[in-house]
Amino acid sequence: MGALGTPIILMVAMYAFLKFGLPNIPGSAPLPSSLIFLYLLLTAGGIFMFKTLSGESKDAFWGPIQRFLTGENIGGLQALRYGVFILFPLLVGWQTYGSTAVSDLPPTESRTIHPAPPGEYTGLSNPVPKTPENIMQGKGFYAAYCSPCHGGNFDGKGPAARGFIPAPANFADPTTIAMLQESYLFWRIKKGGVGLPIEGAPWKSAMPRWEVELPDEWIWKIILGEYDGAHQSPRTWE
Amino acid sequence: MKPANRIMKRVLRGGTAAIAAMIIGGASLGYAQESVSVRATLLTGGVPVDDPSAAVWSSAPPATFPMSPQVHWQNRIQEVTVKDVIVRALHDGTQVAVLVEYTDPTQDPDDAAALEFMVGDKKAHFAHGQPMLQVEGGPVNIWFWKNKTGKAIDMSAKGFGTLKPQEHQDVTAKGVYSNGTWKVVFSRKLLTGHADEDVQITAGQFMSISFAVWDGRKDAVGELVEKGSQKAVSSWWYFRADAPPDYSGYMYAAIAAALGLGFQFVLIRKLKKGQ
Repeated sequence: MGALGTPIILMVAMYAFLKFGLPNIPGSAPLPSSLIFLYLLLTAGGIFMFKTLSGESKDAFWGPIQRFLTGENIGGLQALRYGVFILFPLLVGWQTYGSTAVSDLPPTESRTIHPAPPGEYTGLSNPVPKTPENIMQGKGFYAAYCSPCHGGNFDGKGPAARGFIPAPANFADPTTIAMLQESYLFWRIKKGGVGLPIEGAPWKSAMPRWEVELPDEWIWKIILGEYDGAHQSPRTWE
Repeated sequence: MKPANRIMKRVLRGGTAAIAAMIIGGASLGYAQESVSVRATLLTGGVPVDDPSAAVWSSAPPATFPMSPQVHWQNRIQEVTVKDVIVRALHDGTQVAVLVEYTDPTQDPDDAAALEFMVGDKKAHFAHGQPMLQVEGGPVNIWFWKNKTGKAIDMSAKGFGTLKPQEHQDVTAKGVYSNGTWKVVFSRKLLTGHADEDVQITAGQFMSISFAVWDGRKDAVGELVEKGSQKAVSSWWYFRADAPPDYSGYMYAAIAAALGLGFQFVLIRKLKKGQ
Protein backbone atom coordinates (compact mmCIF):
# COMPACT_ATOMS: atom_id res chain seq x y z
CA MET A 1 0.00 0.00 0.00
CA GLY A 2 3.05 2.29 0.21
CA ALA A 3 2.61 3.65 -3.31
CA LEU A 4 -0.92 4.80 -2.47
CA GLY A 5 -0.19 6.02 1.02
CA THR A 6 1.81 9.07 0.02
CA PRO A 7 -0.81 10.40 -2.43
CA ILE A 8 -3.58 9.97 0.12
CA ILE A 9 -1.59 11.68 2.84
CA LEU A 10 -0.72 14.47 0.38
CA MET A 11 -4.36 14.97 -0.58
CA VAL A 12 -5.56 15.03 3.02
CA ALA A 13 -2.75 17.41 4.00
CA MET A 14 -3.56 19.67 1.05
CA TYR A 15 -7.25 19.68 1.99
CA ALA A 16 -6.46 20.45 5.62
CA PHE A 17 -4.14 23.27 4.57
CA LEU A 18 -6.66 24.85 2.17
CA LYS A 19 -9.59 24.46 4.53
CA PHE A 20 -8.04 25.22 7.93
CA GLY A 21 -4.51 26.53 7.38
CA LEU A 22 -4.87 29.13 4.66
CA PRO A 23 -7.78 31.11 6.19
CA ASN A 24 -5.65 31.66 9.32
CA ILE A 25 -2.85 33.39 7.45
CA PRO A 26 -3.20 37.12 8.20
CA GLY A 27 -4.91 38.98 5.37
CA SER A 28 -6.35 35.78 3.95
CA ALA A 29 -9.96 34.58 3.86
CA PRO A 30 -11.75 31.19 3.77
CA LEU A 31 -11.70 29.68 0.29
CA PRO A 32 -14.98 28.82 -1.42
CA SER A 33 -15.42 25.06 -1.53
CA SER A 34 -15.50 25.11 -5.34
CA LEU A 35 -11.97 26.55 -5.34
CA ILE A 36 -10.79 24.00 -2.77
CA PHE A 37 -12.22 21.30 -5.01
CA LEU A 38 -10.36 22.72 -8.01
CA TYR A 39 -7.05 22.86 -6.12
CA LEU A 40 -7.51 19.26 -4.95
CA LEU A 41 -8.20 18.18 -8.53
CA LEU A 42 -4.98 19.89 -9.63
CA THR A 43 -3.08 18.23 -6.76
CA ALA A 44 -4.51 14.84 -7.72
CA GLY A 45 -3.61 15.48 -11.35
CA GLY A 46 -0.05 16.35 -10.39
CA ILE A 47 0.32 13.27 -8.21
CA PHE A 48 -1.12 11.10 -10.95
CA MET A 49 1.32 12.45 -13.54
CA PHE A 50 4.26 12.03 -11.20
CA LYS A 51 3.27 8.51 -10.21
CA THR A 52 2.78 7.31 -13.76
CA LEU A 53 5.94 8.81 -15.26
CA SER A 54 7.93 5.56 -15.41
CA GLY A 55 6.64 2.06 -16.04
CA GLU A 56 7.86 0.96 -12.63
CA SER A 57 6.19 3.70 -10.64
CA LYS A 58 3.07 3.25 -12.76
CA ASP A 59 2.77 -0.37 -11.68
CA ALA A 60 3.50 0.55 -8.09
CA PHE A 61 0.74 3.15 -8.29
CA TRP A 62 -1.93 1.19 -10.16
CA GLY A 63 -1.24 -2.18 -8.56
CA PRO A 64 -2.71 -1.38 -5.14
CA ILE A 65 -5.68 0.42 -6.71
CA GLN A 66 -6.47 -2.58 -8.88
CA ARG A 67 -6.07 -4.95 -5.97
CA PHE A 68 -8.34 -2.79 -3.88
CA LEU A 69 -11.03 -2.58 -6.57
CA THR A 70 -10.95 -6.28 -7.43
CA GLY A 71 -10.72 -7.24 -3.78
CA GLU A 72 -7.77 -9.63 -4.16
CA ASN A 73 -5.80 -10.24 -0.97
CA ILE A 74 -6.86 -7.06 0.70
CA GLY A 75 -7.95 -8.69 3.96
CA GLY A 76 -9.56 -6.25 6.34
CA LEU A 77 -10.02 -3.62 3.68
CA GLN A 78 -12.86 -5.63 2.16
CA ALA A 79 -15.46 -3.77 4.23
CA LEU A 80 -14.04 -0.44 3.10
CA ARG A 81 -14.16 -1.67 -0.51
CA TYR A 82 -17.89 -2.36 -0.24
CA GLY A 83 -18.31 0.98 1.48
CA VAL A 84 -16.72 2.73 -1.48
CA PHE A 85 -18.98 0.81 -3.89
CA ILE A 86 -22.06 1.97 -2.00
CA LEU A 87 -20.87 5.52 -1.43
CA PHE A 88 -19.77 6.26 -5.00
CA PRO A 89 -23.21 5.93 -6.70
CA LEU A 90 -24.80 7.79 -3.80
CA LEU A 91 -22.38 10.69 -4.23
CA VAL A 92 -23.00 10.77 -7.97
CA GLY A 93 -26.74 10.89 -7.29
CA TRP A 94 -26.32 13.58 -4.64
CA GLN A 95 -24.22 15.78 -6.89
CA THR A 96 -26.71 15.38 -9.73
CA TYR A 97 -29.56 16.34 -7.44
CA GLY A 98 -27.62 19.37 -6.23
CA SER A 99 -26.92 20.58 -9.74
CA THR A 100 -30.46 20.10 -11.09
CA ALA A 101 -32.40 21.34 -8.06
CA VAL A 102 -33.86 24.83 -8.46
CA SER A 103 -31.91 27.20 -6.27
CA ASP A 104 -33.64 28.96 -3.42
CA LEU A 105 -31.07 31.71 -3.61
CA PRO A 106 -31.74 34.96 -5.42
CA PRO A 107 -29.55 35.72 -8.43
CA THR A 108 -26.10 36.84 -7.38
CA GLU A 109 -25.35 40.41 -8.25
CA SER A 110 -21.78 41.52 -8.62
CA ARG A 111 -21.20 45.19 -8.07
CA THR A 112 -18.03 47.11 -8.81
CA ILE A 113 -17.45 49.34 -5.80
CA HIS A 114 -15.21 51.89 -7.54
CA PRO A 115 -16.10 51.76 -11.26
CA ALA A 116 -14.16 53.86 -13.75
CA PRO A 117 -15.25 57.50 -13.88
CA PRO A 118 -16.15 59.24 -17.15
CA GLY A 119 -13.15 60.82 -18.88
CA GLU A 120 -13.99 64.36 -17.91
CA TYR A 121 -13.72 63.46 -14.22
CA THR A 122 -10.20 62.04 -14.30
CA GLY A 123 -7.21 64.09 -13.21
CA LEU A 124 -9.05 67.18 -12.00
CA SER A 125 -7.24 68.90 -9.18
CA ASN A 126 -8.99 70.57 -6.28
CA PRO A 127 -9.28 74.29 -7.14
CA VAL A 128 -9.97 75.15 -3.51
CA PRO A 129 -6.76 75.78 -1.51
CA LYS A 130 -6.24 73.44 1.41
CA THR A 131 -6.44 76.06 4.15
CA PRO A 132 -7.73 75.47 7.70
CA GLU A 133 -10.72 77.70 6.93
CA ASN A 134 -11.71 75.81 3.80
CA ILE A 135 -11.30 72.49 5.59
CA MET A 136 -13.48 73.73 8.41
CA GLN A 137 -16.13 74.97 5.98
CA GLY A 138 -15.99 71.63 4.19
CA LYS A 139 -16.54 69.81 7.47
CA GLY A 140 -19.53 72.04 8.13
CA PHE A 141 -21.08 71.14 4.77
CA TYR A 142 -20.21 67.49 5.43
CA ALA A 143 -22.03 67.62 8.76
CA ALA A 144 -25.12 69.09 7.09
CA TYR A 145 -25.34 67.02 3.91
CA CYS A 146 -23.21 63.89 4.23
CA SER A 147 -23.08 62.87 7.88
CA PRO A 148 -26.69 61.55 8.08
CA CYS A 149 -25.45 58.52 6.11
CA HIS A 150 -21.63 58.63 6.14
CA GLY A 151 -21.56 59.40 9.86
CA GLY A 152 -20.19 62.13 12.08
CA ASN A 153 -17.10 59.96 12.51
CA PHE A 154 -16.70 59.46 8.73
CA ASP A 155 -17.23 55.72 9.30
CA GLY A 156 -20.33 55.16 7.15
CA LYS A 157 -22.49 54.62 10.24
CA GLY A 158 -24.75 57.67 10.20
CA PRO A 159 -28.27 57.45 11.66
CA ALA A 160 -29.85 57.18 8.17
CA ALA A 161 -27.52 54.44 6.93
CA ARG A 162 -29.19 51.32 8.28
CA GLY A 163 -31.64 50.58 5.47
CA PHE A 164 -29.37 51.29 2.52
CA ILE A 165 -27.72 48.54 0.49
CA PRO A 166 -25.00 49.17 -0.62
CA ALA A 167 -24.06 50.69 2.71
CA PRO A 168 -22.71 54.27 2.65
CA ALA A 169 -18.94 54.33 2.20
CA ASN A 170 -16.75 54.31 5.30
CA PHE A 171 -14.14 57.01 4.63
CA ALA A 172 -11.93 55.89 7.50
CA ASP A 173 -11.49 52.54 5.75
CA PRO A 174 -8.21 52.58 3.79
CA THR A 175 -9.92 50.99 0.76
CA THR A 176 -12.24 53.94 0.08
CA ILE A 177 -11.15 57.56 -0.34
CA ALA A 178 -7.51 56.79 0.55
CA MET A 179 -7.10 54.89 -2.71
CA LEU A 180 -9.02 57.41 -4.80
CA GLN A 181 -8.13 60.78 -6.25
CA GLU A 182 -9.99 63.94 -5.33
CA SER A 183 -11.20 64.03 -8.92
CA TYR A 184 -12.98 60.70 -8.40
CA LEU A 185 -14.75 61.94 -5.26
CA PHE A 186 -15.82 65.05 -7.14
CA TRP A 187 -17.51 62.84 -9.74
CA ARG A 188 -19.19 60.60 -7.17
CA ILE A 189 -20.54 63.49 -5.07
CA LYS A 190 -21.67 65.50 -8.09
CA LYS A 191 -23.48 62.74 -9.97
CA GLY A 192 -24.43 60.50 -7.03
CA GLY A 193 -25.74 56.95 -7.26
CA VAL A 194 -27.66 57.54 -10.47
CA GLY A 195 -24.42 58.60 -12.20
CA LEU A 196 -22.82 55.17 -11.76
CA PRO A 197 -22.23 52.97 -14.81
CA ILE A 198 -24.13 49.68 -15.01
CA GLU A 199 -21.39 47.70 -13.21
CA GLY A 200 -21.91 49.96 -10.20
CA ALA A 201 -25.63 48.99 -9.93
CA PRO A 202 -26.90 52.60 -9.89
CA TRP A 203 -30.50 51.48 -9.22
CA LYS A 204 -29.56 50.49 -5.66
CA SER A 205 -27.53 53.51 -4.57
CA ALA A 206 -29.09 56.11 -2.28
CA MET A 207 -26.27 58.63 -2.88
CA PRO A 208 -27.90 61.93 -3.90
CA ARG A 209 -26.99 63.68 -7.13
CA TRP A 210 -25.58 66.73 -5.34
CA GLU A 211 -24.94 68.76 -8.50
CA VAL A 212 -28.60 69.79 -8.47
CA GLU A 213 -28.31 71.22 -4.96
CA LEU A 214 -24.70 72.21 -4.22
CA PRO A 215 -22.28 74.47 -6.13
CA ASP A 216 -19.02 72.84 -7.28
CA GLU A 217 -17.00 74.92 -4.84
CA TRP A 218 -18.88 73.45 -1.90
CA ILE A 219 -18.27 69.93 -3.20
CA TRP A 220 -14.50 70.58 -3.43
CA LYS A 221 -14.58 71.92 0.13
CA ILE A 222 -16.50 68.85 1.31
CA ILE A 223 -13.72 66.72 -0.22
CA LEU A 224 -11.10 68.64 1.79
CA GLY A 225 -13.17 68.19 4.94
CA GLU A 226 -13.70 64.48 4.30
CA TYR A 227 -10.02 63.65 3.89
CA ASP A 228 -9.10 65.70 6.92
CA GLY A 229 -11.86 64.32 9.11
CA ALA A 230 -11.20 60.70 8.11
CA HIS A 231 -7.41 61.15 8.55
CA GLN A 232 -6.72 60.05 4.99
CA SER A 233 -4.88 61.54 2.04
CA PRO A 234 -5.99 61.44 -1.57
CA ARG A 235 -4.14 59.14 -3.92
CA THR A 236 -1.75 60.96 -6.19
CA TRP A 237 0.36 59.90 -9.13
CA GLU A 238 3.62 60.97 -7.53
CA MET B 1 -1.61 -7.53 10.39
CA LYS B 2 1.50 -5.35 10.44
CA PRO B 3 1.19 -2.05 12.34
CA ALA B 4 2.17 -0.10 9.22
CA ASN B 5 -0.66 -1.73 7.33
CA ARG B 6 -3.11 -0.86 10.07
CA ILE B 7 -2.05 2.77 10.03
CA MET B 8 -2.43 2.83 6.25
CA LYS B 9 -5.93 1.44 6.63
CA ARG B 10 -6.86 4.23 9.02
CA VAL B 11 -5.40 6.83 6.70
CA LEU B 12 -7.35 5.39 3.80
CA ARG B 13 -10.58 5.48 5.78
CA GLY B 14 -9.91 8.99 7.01
CA GLY B 15 -9.09 10.16 3.51
CA THR B 16 -12.26 8.70 2.04
CA ALA B 17 -14.33 10.30 4.78
CA ALA B 18 -12.62 13.66 4.23
CA ILE B 19 -13.22 13.60 0.50
CA ALA B 20 -16.84 12.55 0.99
CA ALA B 21 -17.31 15.34 3.54
CA MET B 22 -15.78 17.79 1.10
CA ILE B 23 -18.07 16.79 -1.75
CA ILE B 24 -21.16 16.85 0.45
CA GLY B 25 -20.04 20.13 2.03
CA GLY B 26 -19.55 21.63 -1.43
CA ALA B 27 -23.00 20.57 -2.57
CA SER B 28 -24.74 22.21 0.37
CA LEU B 29 -22.67 25.39 0.49
CA GLY B 30 -24.61 28.63 0.56
CA TYR B 31 -27.93 27.58 2.06
CA ALA B 32 -27.36 29.57 5.21
CA GLN B 33 -28.55 33.05 4.33
CA GLU B 34 -30.03 36.12 5.99
CA SER B 35 -33.35 37.42 4.77
CA VAL B 36 -32.80 39.08 1.44
CA SER B 37 -36.03 37.97 -0.14
CA VAL B 38 -39.74 37.64 0.48
CA ARG B 39 -40.98 34.14 -0.30
CA ALA B 40 -44.64 33.85 -1.21
CA THR B 41 -45.69 30.41 0.03
CA LEU B 42 -47.95 28.44 -2.30
CA LEU B 43 -51.37 27.64 -0.81
CA THR B 44 -54.16 25.46 -2.02
CA GLY B 45 -57.38 27.29 -1.39
CA GLY B 46 -57.95 30.98 -0.94
CA VAL B 47 -55.46 33.67 -0.02
CA PRO B 48 -56.53 35.85 2.97
CA VAL B 49 -56.71 39.02 0.88
CA ASP B 50 -58.51 41.12 3.49
CA ASP B 51 -57.47 39.47 6.72
CA PRO B 52 -54.05 40.48 8.09
CA SER B 53 -54.70 38.34 11.17
CA ALA B 54 -55.62 35.08 9.43
CA ALA B 55 -53.99 31.99 10.95
CA VAL B 56 -52.66 30.89 7.57
CA TRP B 57 -50.11 33.74 7.64
CA SER B 58 -48.08 31.70 10.09
CA SER B 59 -47.28 29.29 7.24
CA ALA B 60 -45.41 32.06 5.40
CA PRO B 61 -41.80 32.65 6.50
CA PRO B 62 -41.28 36.20 7.81
CA ALA B 63 -38.50 38.35 6.37
CA THR B 64 -37.27 41.50 8.12
CA PHE B 65 -35.92 44.50 6.22
CA PRO B 66 -34.27 47.61 7.67
CA MET B 67 -35.67 51.05 6.82
CA SER B 68 -33.93 54.40 6.42
CA PRO B 69 -35.24 57.95 6.38
CA GLN B 70 -35.56 59.12 2.78
CA VAL B 71 -32.44 61.25 2.24
CA HIS B 72 -31.89 60.58 -1.43
CA TRP B 73 -33.74 63.56 -2.86
CA GLN B 74 -35.63 66.65 -1.74
CA ASN B 75 -37.60 66.97 0.45
CA ARG B 76 -35.53 64.85 2.83
CA ILE B 77 -36.27 63.68 6.33
CA GLN B 78 -33.61 62.91 8.94
CA GLU B 79 -35.53 60.66 11.29
CA VAL B 80 -38.48 58.32 10.89
CA THR B 81 -40.60 56.26 13.23
CA VAL B 82 -40.42 52.88 11.52
CA LYS B 83 -37.04 51.16 11.66
CA ASP B 84 -37.93 47.72 10.24
CA VAL B 85 -40.72 46.03 8.36
CA ILE B 86 -41.56 42.35 8.67
CA VAL B 87 -42.95 40.93 5.44
CA ARG B 88 -44.78 37.71 4.63
CA ALA B 89 -46.44 36.61 1.42
CA LEU B 90 -48.83 33.92 0.22
CA HIS B 91 -50.18 32.95 -3.18
CA ASP B 92 -52.47 30.31 -4.63
CA GLY B 93 -51.39 30.38 -8.26
CA THR B 94 -53.83 33.17 -9.12
CA GLN B 95 -53.87 35.69 -6.30
CA VAL B 96 -50.94 36.99 -4.27
CA ALA B 97 -51.11 38.66 -0.85
CA VAL B 98 -48.26 40.51 0.86
CA LEU B 99 -48.46 41.23 4.58
CA VAL B 100 -46.39 44.15 5.86
CA GLU B 101 -46.05 44.45 9.63
CA TYR B 102 -44.36 47.22 11.60
CA THR B 103 -44.33 48.97 14.95
CA ASP B 104 -45.96 52.40 15.20
CA PRO B 105 -46.80 53.78 18.65
CA THR B 106 -49.91 55.64 17.49
CA GLN B 107 -52.69 55.02 15.01
CA ASP B 108 -53.16 58.10 12.83
CA PRO B 109 -55.44 58.77 9.84
CA ASP B 110 -52.37 59.55 7.70
CA ASP B 111 -50.51 56.33 8.51
CA ALA B 112 -49.61 54.79 5.17
CA ALA B 113 -47.49 52.04 3.62
CA ALA B 114 -46.43 51.08 0.11
CA LEU B 115 -44.78 48.34 -1.90
CA GLU B 116 -42.70 49.13 -4.95
CA PHE B 117 -41.79 46.70 -7.75
CA MET B 118 -39.62 46.91 -10.83
CA VAL B 119 -41.71 46.44 -13.98
CA GLY B 120 -40.34 44.50 -16.95
CA ASP B 121 -36.72 43.56 -17.61
CA LYS B 122 -35.09 46.95 -17.20
CA LYS B 123 -33.62 47.91 -13.83
CA ALA B 124 -35.37 50.81 -12.11
CA HIS B 125 -33.88 53.07 -9.46
CA PHE B 126 -35.45 52.42 -6.06
CA ALA B 127 -36.37 56.10 -5.73
CA HIS B 128 -39.51 56.02 -7.93
CA GLY B 129 -37.52 54.79 -10.93
CA GLN B 130 -35.73 58.12 -11.28
CA PRO B 131 -33.61 58.41 -14.43
CA MET B 132 -30.06 57.05 -14.26
CA LEU B 133 -27.35 58.84 -16.22
CA GLN B 134 -25.55 55.89 -17.80
CA VAL B 135 -28.20 53.16 -17.69
CA GLU B 136 -31.61 53.12 -19.33
CA GLY B 137 -34.03 52.39 -16.53
CA GLY B 138 -37.56 51.00 -16.43
CA PRO B 139 -40.73 52.06 -14.61
CA VAL B 140 -41.88 51.05 -11.15
CA ASN B 141 -45.27 49.85 -9.95
CA ILE B 142 -46.34 51.15 -6.52
CA TRP B 143 -49.09 49.69 -4.35
CA PHE B 144 -50.06 52.39 -1.87
CA TRP B 145 -52.31 52.07 1.18
CA LYS B 146 -53.49 54.81 3.51
CA ASN B 147 -55.33 54.32 6.79
CA LYS B 148 -57.68 57.27 6.15
CA THR B 149 -59.05 55.91 2.88
CA GLY B 150 -58.79 52.24 3.90
CA LYS B 151 -57.96 51.16 0.38
CA ALA B 152 -55.11 50.72 -2.06
CA ILE B 153 -54.07 52.79 -5.05
CA ASP B 154 -52.25 51.05 -7.90
CA MET B 155 -49.69 53.54 -9.23
CA SER B 156 -46.89 53.93 -11.73
CA ALA B 157 -43.79 56.10 -11.79
CA LYS B 158 -40.71 56.62 -13.90
CA GLY B 159 -38.82 59.43 -12.26
CA PHE B 160 -39.66 62.18 -9.79
CA GLY B 161 -42.94 63.97 -10.33
CA THR B 162 -44.29 61.21 -12.55
CA LEU B 163 -46.13 59.21 -9.85
CA LYS B 164 -49.76 58.77 -10.79
CA PRO B 165 -52.63 56.35 -10.23
CA GLN B 166 -53.17 53.89 -13.05
CA GLU B 167 -56.31 53.68 -15.14
CA HIS B 168 -56.61 50.03 -14.17
CA GLN B 169 -56.85 49.62 -10.39
CA ASP B 170 -55.91 46.01 -9.63
CA VAL B 171 -54.72 46.17 -6.02
CA THR B 172 -56.66 45.85 -2.77
CA ALA B 173 -55.35 46.54 0.72
CA LYS B 174 -56.53 46.22 4.28
CA GLY B 175 -54.83 47.50 7.41
CA VAL B 176 -55.45 46.43 11.00
CA TYR B 177 -53.93 48.28 13.95
CA SER B 178 -53.53 46.54 17.27
CA ASN B 179 -51.16 46.82 20.25
CA GLY B 180 -48.88 49.36 18.59
CA THR B 181 -48.50 47.31 15.44
CA TRP B 182 -49.80 47.85 11.93
CA LYS B 183 -50.52 44.81 9.80
CA VAL B 184 -51.31 45.75 6.23
CA VAL B 185 -52.15 43.16 3.61
CA PHE B 186 -51.84 44.06 -0.08
CA SER B 187 -53.33 41.78 -2.68
CA ARG B 188 -53.53 41.45 -6.42
CA LYS B 189 -53.74 38.84 -9.14
CA LEU B 190 -50.30 37.42 -10.00
CA LEU B 191 -50.78 38.51 -13.59
CA THR B 192 -52.65 41.49 -14.98
CA GLY B 193 -53.23 42.35 -18.60
CA HIS B 194 -50.96 45.40 -18.38
CA ALA B 195 -47.35 44.24 -18.42
CA ASP B 196 -46.06 47.73 -19.30
CA GLU B 197 -47.25 49.26 -16.02
CA ASP B 198 -47.95 46.38 -13.60
CA VAL B 199 -45.42 43.96 -12.18
CA GLN B 200 -46.19 40.48 -13.53
CA ILE B 201 -45.52 37.80 -10.94
CA THR B 202 -44.41 34.46 -12.36
CA ALA B 203 -44.01 31.63 -9.85
CA GLY B 204 -40.38 30.63 -9.36
CA GLN B 205 -38.92 33.89 -10.63
CA PHE B 206 -37.16 36.49 -8.52
CA MET B 207 -38.30 40.08 -8.86
CA SER B 208 -37.30 43.29 -7.10
CA ILE B 209 -39.39 44.74 -4.27
CA SER B 210 -38.93 47.65 -1.87
CA PHE B 211 -40.96 49.19 0.93
CA ALA B 212 -42.03 52.60 2.20
CA VAL B 213 -43.87 53.62 5.38
CA TRP B 214 -45.28 56.94 6.60
CA ASP B 215 -46.08 57.50 10.26
CA GLY B 216 -49.00 59.94 10.11
CA ARG B 217 -48.16 61.66 13.42
CA LYS B 218 -48.30 65.44 13.68
CA ASP B 219 -45.80 67.84 15.25
CA ALA B 220 -46.52 70.49 17.93
CA VAL B 221 -48.08 72.88 15.42
CA GLY B 222 -50.28 70.24 13.84
CA GLU B 223 -48.19 69.61 10.71
CA LEU B 224 -47.60 66.12 9.39
CA VAL B 225 -44.00 65.05 10.07
CA GLU B 226 -43.85 62.29 7.48
CA LYS B 227 -45.52 63.10 4.17
CA GLY B 228 -44.79 62.73 0.48
CA SER B 229 -41.08 62.08 -0.01
CA GLN B 230 -40.50 62.39 3.74
CA LYS B 231 -40.94 58.76 4.66
CA ALA B 232 -39.13 55.59 5.70
CA VAL B 233 -37.74 53.65 2.73
CA SER B 234 -35.93 50.39 2.09
CA SER B 235 -33.47 49.31 -0.57
CA TRP B 236 -34.38 46.87 -3.31
CA TRP B 237 -34.87 43.29 -2.08
CA TYR B 238 -36.09 40.17 -3.82
CA PHE B 239 -39.60 38.76 -4.01
CA ARG B 240 -40.47 35.31 -5.29
CA ALA B 241 -43.70 33.36 -5.48
CA ASP B 242 -42.99 29.67 -4.82
CA ALA B 243 -43.33 27.41 -7.84
CA PRO B 244 -45.34 24.17 -7.50
CA PRO B 245 -43.09 21.37 -6.15
CA ASP B 246 -40.88 19.78 -8.79
CA TYR B 247 -39.66 16.23 -8.11
CA SER B 248 -37.70 15.74 -11.33
CA GLY B 249 -34.42 16.32 -9.44
CA TYR B 250 -34.93 13.03 -7.58
CA MET B 251 -35.44 11.20 -10.85
CA TYR B 252 -32.25 12.62 -12.36
CA ALA B 253 -30.38 11.73 -9.16
CA ALA B 254 -31.65 8.14 -9.31
CA ILE B 255 -30.63 7.80 -12.96
CA ALA B 256 -27.17 9.20 -12.19
CA ALA B 257 -26.73 6.87 -9.22
CA ALA B 258 -27.76 3.88 -11.38
CA LEU B 259 -25.24 4.93 -14.03
CA GLY B 260 -22.55 5.20 -11.35
CA LEU B 261 -23.38 1.73 -10.09
CA GLY B 262 -23.30 0.32 -13.63
CA PHE B 263 -19.94 1.96 -14.28
CA GLN B 264 -18.54 0.26 -11.17
CA PHE B 265 -19.74 -3.16 -12.24
CA VAL B 266 -18.29 -2.84 -15.74
CA LEU B 267 -14.98 -1.50 -14.41
CA ILE B 268 -14.50 -4.30 -11.89
CA ARG B 269 -15.53 -6.98 -14.34
CA LYS B 270 -12.96 -5.67 -16.82
CA LEU B 271 -10.29 -5.49 -14.14
CA LYS B 272 -10.97 -9.01 -12.91
CA LYS B 273 -11.10 -10.52 -16.37
CA GLY B 274 -8.54 -8.56 -18.27
CA GLN B 275 -5.28 -7.36 -16.90
